[in-house]
This record gives sequence, structure tokens and C-alpha cells, in this order.
Amino acid sequence: MNKIIDYFRRNVENYPDKNAIIFGGQSITYRKLGELVDSFSENLINLKKGSTISIFHENSIDFVISYLGILNSGMITHLIPINLSKEKIQEQLEIANSKFVITSNSLLDRMENIKSGCKIITFQELDIQDCELSSSYDVEDDVAYLIFTSGTTGKPKGASVTQSNTIFTTENIINILNYNNADVNVLPLPLTHSFGLGCLHSSLFVGSTLILLENATNTKKILEHIKNYNATTLASVPLTLTKILKEHENCSDYLQDLRLVITNSTSIPKKTVMCYRDILKTGILATYYGLTEASRSTFMIFAKPGKETSVGKPPEGIVIKIENKVLDERKVGEILIKGKNVIKNYWNNSEADKNIVDGWLRTGDLGHKDAEGYLYLDGRMDYVINIVGEKVVPEEVEEVVRVLIDVEDVVAVGTKNEMYGEIIKMFVKKSPNSKITKSDILSHCIKNLESFKVPREIEFVDDFPRNEFGKIERYRLSEKNE
Amino acid sequence: MYYQKTEKLLDSAENNIKKIFFQVFPDLDESQFNWTKKQNEYENWDSFSHLHLITMIEENFKITITDDDAINLHSAKDLLDFVERNR
Repeated sequence: MNKIIDYFRRNVENYPDKNAIIFGGQSITYRKLGELVDSFSENLINLKKGSTISIFHENSIDFVISYLGILNSGMITHLIPINLSKEKIQEQLEIANSKFVITSNSLLDRMENIKSGCKIITFQELDIQDCELSSSYDVEDDVAYLIFTSGTTGKPKGASVTQSNTIFTTENIINILNYNNADVNVLPLPLTHSFGLGCLHSSLFVGSTLILLENATNTKKILEHIKNYNATTLASVPLTLTKILKEHENCSDYLQDLRLVITNSTSIPKKTVMCYRDILKTGILATYYGLTEASRSTFMIFAKPGKETSVGKPPEGIVIKIENKVLDERKVGEILIKGKNVIKNYWNNSEADKNIVDGWLRTGDLGHKDAEGYLYLDGRMDYVINIVGEKVVPEEVEEVVRVLIDVEDVVAVGTKNEMYGEIIKMFVKKSPNSKITKSDILSHCIKNLESFKVPREIEFVDDFPRNEFGKIERYRLSEKNE
Repeated sequence: MYYQKTEKLLDSAENNIKKIFFQVFPDLDESQFNWTKKQNEYENWDSFSHLHLITMIEENFKITITDDDAINLHSAKDLLDFVERNR
């Protein structure tokens, strides 16, 4: 088996009557899903292999049919996040050179006036055979899907993730986190993102059941789904895991029997790790570090106290090195990754391809290793603040302020200053009903940070600028102050 | 602790500035504080502590202190006089 679809097909044969996906009260068995995937593919029969078809669709069973149907036809899937602006959708479609966009009725108006030369059709009215199709891309057959990453400058780069990248990564996920056909997996993550998509692959590869949710905004709904379907795993971003703890005092009643809670590496608070370790009776909390370009490069299982801030070690077949001037991996430097999970190149982007040299991907992420080789993340290279020669990683300052109960979240950026080169400005989102003052925060910083790391300025904000994945766009806060 | 004691005092500029001093220099003993004592006579009043003092005063008194002004503030009394002139 060397294609994603082969793994799915194996389970159509092995578990035909088992539910593959449950979504919004509807369920679909592996057999039925296989039939619908085949029907979908027949619509694409006239398209040249290797053509790109975009999906702009909410999480749903229709999404999964479209995704697998495109792969089944030997096409490349371009996944568009549903909260993307019209301009960014157009930009991605142009770069992807996509000829079709498959969308939903509810998202159709978001596609109005998009001039990209591609045909927009809803899943319900799918009838591609009538269309005039042509494709002249010179792509490797091996590319399975495209996901665009915003990059620090905001200019999107298409990561061309191959079939072999995906199979290697999925097998790692399954083996390290013990996914098996008895699993019932709750997934409130977008399937257009590498994290959510990886969970879909894992579930279909082992023949387990996926309980798919639209999103993670309703934490009560997540807990209810876990209980109602006797779920065994939950995949969620750290923010959602922390929200569950804050919003539901009785959350342990819902979570305690899970065998696995998997999250990803965007600064999971130490306290959250410790709480989940307490809540899960025999289950484990795990995290990973990865990029769309190098999915699941490390895994960390928080089985016992210690190393709560680490993202773990790379699995076999992946090598991570820290590059810095002092040639010491225990000191902070740029993280470079090499392995079968790393993409060969970006989509029609020779400039971005310079980040991949001899298979080594320059991540732009800062990190260091401990004596046992565990990796720790130290922020982004682009955001290091230089105060009269003293280097400050903003995350370190943020972590100190984030522990305050009156602070929901915080972002520190460097702003230019004539005397100091740069000084720290901190944007703070207060917790609801919080009465905390700027002086309280400064006073806390003075007590808990080295002198040069104390912010010079604090601004309260309602929220932070975020990208389509909900990730905070630091560069937009930095620009604001230039 | 000095912080708690000062909370009982009147909310004057004088008390507030003194309070800020003990927040920025938590290890400072009350006997070591003097209104006219100069920056270079304090063990820990370096350029960063100076920034913290300025920032805390700006936040507390809702005033702006430019870098040029900040350079000329060398004692607790200088800070108090500046606040009195500009609030």
C-alpha cells in the first residue's frame, strides 16, 4: 500500500458495517463511505491526473467524501480554511491553479465575485462530467494535498504534502499513540489544518470511528460527545483544553476514562498538563511539534512528572538539529528538521524552497534540547527582541504574565526605541470581569523577571489579530508599533 | 511589608511615588530611601530599573514621560517634582 486511499479501502473490506464517521447526529459506515467516495470519483473521471481541486467546506461527512474522492481519482486536494478572507481565498486559488472549488450551500456566498478562473460548485450539485476540463500542471504524482501556511510575512506558501509524507506521519501517529480499531475519536478540529487532517487519517487507517464536530467553540458539546459516544480519545488545541478546565468544574467526570488526549505544540501551559495528568485515570496526555511542511516531527507523552514544557523527541526516521553559533544544542538556536515527513518542495514557490536544503527544513522556530535530547520550543526567530544587546524571547515574558488569573492571554513584541534599540510592549487580554491594572502587571513582572525583560508599555486589548487557524499573528502587532 | 503599610496612607503623589519605589526595588529597606538620594547612590538603580520607575509612574499618574525628560530625573524628588508639574 502506498496511497492514503489504500489504507481506507482496506478498512472498507475489514469493517464494512462499522461507523467510520459520526457528525451532527448522522453516521456513515465504512462500506457506505467507500461507495460514496467511488461515486464522487466518477465525477472526476475526465480530469487529468494530478489536477488540483479545492475544498472550501465546513467539517462534515461531505467534506470527507470530497477529500477521499479527490485522492481516489489521483488528484491533488487543496484545503481552504473556512474563515479565510475573500482576498486570501482568491490568492490561494490563483497560486494553487485550481480548476474547481467544492463548497457547501452555506459557504457559497463567501465565494461570490472571486475571480480565479475556477468553477465553484456545491457538494450537492456536483456534476463535474459536464465541465470542460484540462490540466497542464507538471506535478509529481505523489502530491496528495496542499495546505497554505501564512508565514511570518503573511504571504501564503503552499506546502505540497505527498502521499509518502502522509503515510509515514500517520504510521508514526498510530504506533506512538497506539491508535487502534477499538478507538472512538472525538475531533473538534478543522480538517483543513494539518492537526485535524492527521487525526482523520489516523482514524481511517486503523478502522476506528471518528466523532467529528464543526469546531471547538462549544466546550460543553465536546464533553457531551465524549460521554455519549464512550469516546476513547480527544484531539484538541491547548487553548481548548485549558478552556475546558476553566469552564467546567466537573470536567473530570467526562474526561477521566479517555485513554488519550492529544494536543499540539502551541505553548501548552504547564498547569494544564498537570491537571490533565491528574484527571486521566489511566490515559495519557500527549503533544507533538510539527509544521504543515514537517508534520508530527516530535512526540511527547506526559506520563510522569517532569518535562512538562518539552515537545518530546523525534520518532525514528526524523532528525532534528539545533543550529546556533555556540554549536551547543542545549543552547537556543534554530530548529532544522530532516525526515520522511518533510515536504520536498513548496507549491510553485522557488523562494520558499530555499528553506529546504539537502532535505533539511529550516523552520524559523527557536528551540533547544536537554541532556536527554528532549526538545523545547523557545519562540520564533523573527520575534526575538533585542534590548541593548540582551536577547529576549517574547514567550518567556508572556509565560510569566499568563499565570496571573486575571489575564486570559498575552503577547509581547519588540518596539523600536532610540535609546535601547528595542523595548518590550505587551498586549494583554484580560479575563472576563477582571479588574487588574497595568501597574499590577508591571509590578508582577518586576518581581518575576530579569530587569531587562520587564515590559516598557502595556496595552489592554479585546483580542489579538489571528490567522485563519486562530493562531495569533504577532507580526501584525509588531507592525502596529513601527 | 512596606507595601501593605503604605496602602493605609493617603493617596498622595508623595505616597504613590514612594510606593512605586518599593515596588521597583523590592529589596530596598525603608532606611535606605531618601527623597534627595541620587540614582548612582542606589545599588540597583540601573537603566532598566529607571525604565520601570518611569513606566510605573506613567501608569499611575496617567502622564507621559519622554526619553529626554526621563534622562534628567535622578532622584525620588526629581520624579515627584515632575509629577507635580505635569499631572
